[in-house]
Amino acid sequence: MKDKVILLVEDNPDDVELTLRALKKNNIRNEVVVAKDGVEALDYLFATGQYAGRTTAVQTQVVLLDLKLPKVDGLEVLRRMRGDERTRLVPVVILTSSKEEQDVIAGYKLGANSYVLKPVNFDEFVEAARQLGLYWLLLNEAPPATA
Amino acid sequence: MRGADLEGRVKDLENAQKAAMNILEDFGEERARFEHVQMAVFNILEDFGEERRRLEGTHSATLNILEDFDREKSVLQNAQRATLNVLEDFGEEKLRLEKIQRATFNILEDLDEEKRKAEAASEQLRERIVLLRQADEEIRKLNEGLKRRAVELEAINSEIVSFSYSVSHDLRAPLRAIDGFSQALIEDYSGQLDDQGKGYLRRVRHGAQRMALLIDDMLKLSRVTRAEFHREGVDLTALAREVAAELRRANPEREVELSVDEGLRVQGDARLLRITIENLLGNAWKFTRGRKPARIELGGRVHPDGPPTYFVRDNGVGFDMAYADKLFGAFQRLHDAREFPGTGIGLATVQRVVRKHGGKIWAVGEVDKGSTFHFTLSKEAT
Repeated sequence: MKDKVILLVEDNPDDVELTLRALKKNNIRNEVVVAKDGVEALDYLFATGQYAGRTTAVQTQVVLLDLKLPKVDGLEVLRRMRGDERTRLVPVVILTSSKEEQDVIAGYKLGANSYVLKPVNFDEFVEAARQLGLYWLLLNEAPPATA
Repeated sequence: MRGADLEGRVKDLENAQKAAMNILEDFGEERARFEHVQMAVFNILEDFGEERRRLEGTHSATLNILEDFDREKSVLQNAQRATLNVLEDFGEEKLRLEKIQRATFNILEDLDEEKRKAEAASEQLRERIVLLRQADEEIRKLNEGLKRRAVELEAINSEIVSFSYSVSHDLRAPLRAIDGFSQALIEDYSGQLDDQGKGYLRRVRHGAQRMALLIDDMLKLSRVTRAEFHREGVDLTALAREVAAELRRANPEREVELSVDEGLRVQGDARLLRITIENLLGNAWKFTRGRKPARIELGGRVHPDGPPTYFVRDNGVGFDMAYADKLFGAFQRLHDAREFPGTGIGLATVQRVVRKHGGKIWAVGEVDKGSTFHFTLSKEAT
């Protein structure tokens, strides 16, 4: 299970720290790759830029994607992922503060697999992380690597 | 005797003859004289005849003249008669003409009246046209104003949307940090913190969480305002029973007698009505805490000359009618937040929903005797 990488796309260092803490509290010890913006996320996914030459043999198990990001926003990252054979089937969980209906609809229309609100209350955040880990890392059977 | 008598007689005869002859002779003379007179008379008569002829000529001339005159006269008479006839005919004609003229006058008079009326009507029409043109111009101006206003509102609305988005996304992140790292301190550094220190951190977390709640409710309120409105048939009874079931699931320990009238069907926006019922029943549920038994009732009443009214009644803590106008203001609270938690947004949201439906909401209550919230969902009677 450890070889299943989680890609966390999050620009807020506090949220990165809290997310990692919430995962750790649930004993989720998978490698977590953090991308601070959409460009970094795409570089990692397509082995370009700073991630050029990265082996894509280890496929991302799940992408935790924030929507409001610098440079390339979360919905655009999702669009590019769904438009590329290599990432078309990678599960994407939108993890965001926005409850706005239009974001939820846009997220699902672009092919998000889940839409989860980041709670303010840390206890609830930990519970959300637990359920996400349980579902996407243990229960859900990831699509076979196509690359 | 014969001889002597005869002689005597002959003599007598001769004597008579002689006498007769003498007479005759005398008569002859007389006759000649007579003839002479006769001749004279004849002459006279002849003269007279001439005279007579002349007279006769004159007479006949006169007669001719008279005759001529007579013809002339009869011609004249005829002419006169004809003239009279003509005049008579003309008189009739005149009468007819007069009648026609009178009729014409009447018609003209009527026409005049008609014309006056038409002119008055036309004047009225002109006035109305002027008024209509003015109204039209007004409407055009208003329309332009409205269009401008719509554009402005569109801009404001999109600003509100991005503002809401920003509030929703950006304000929550720091709160999450405050709450999360406070919890991290409590967990990771509990050895270095005494109970007071841990208590402070719990207050920090409580503050952050309460602010998050306020932000959520503010966003709900603004979503209600911005929400598109779809009026449809809604089964209010079923909706209220669903909400009641949710409340029971959330607080299974509560003993609440909750009744909902049968067959409450309304015209409204189902989503917005759900928010209304959630708030009203939620409030009733909250403010009857500690009542045994707690009683909550949702019902409807029809009225002959007004829209139907609906109500949510409870036997909870009630409120002082002196503050009734504060109930529906955003962030206004009449109860202690520690005893009855809440943000003071619920009833403001309910009021916005009711107003969006064209209805009204008002509350009646008494401290410790419960509250009743009445509302309508339209202006018209059913």
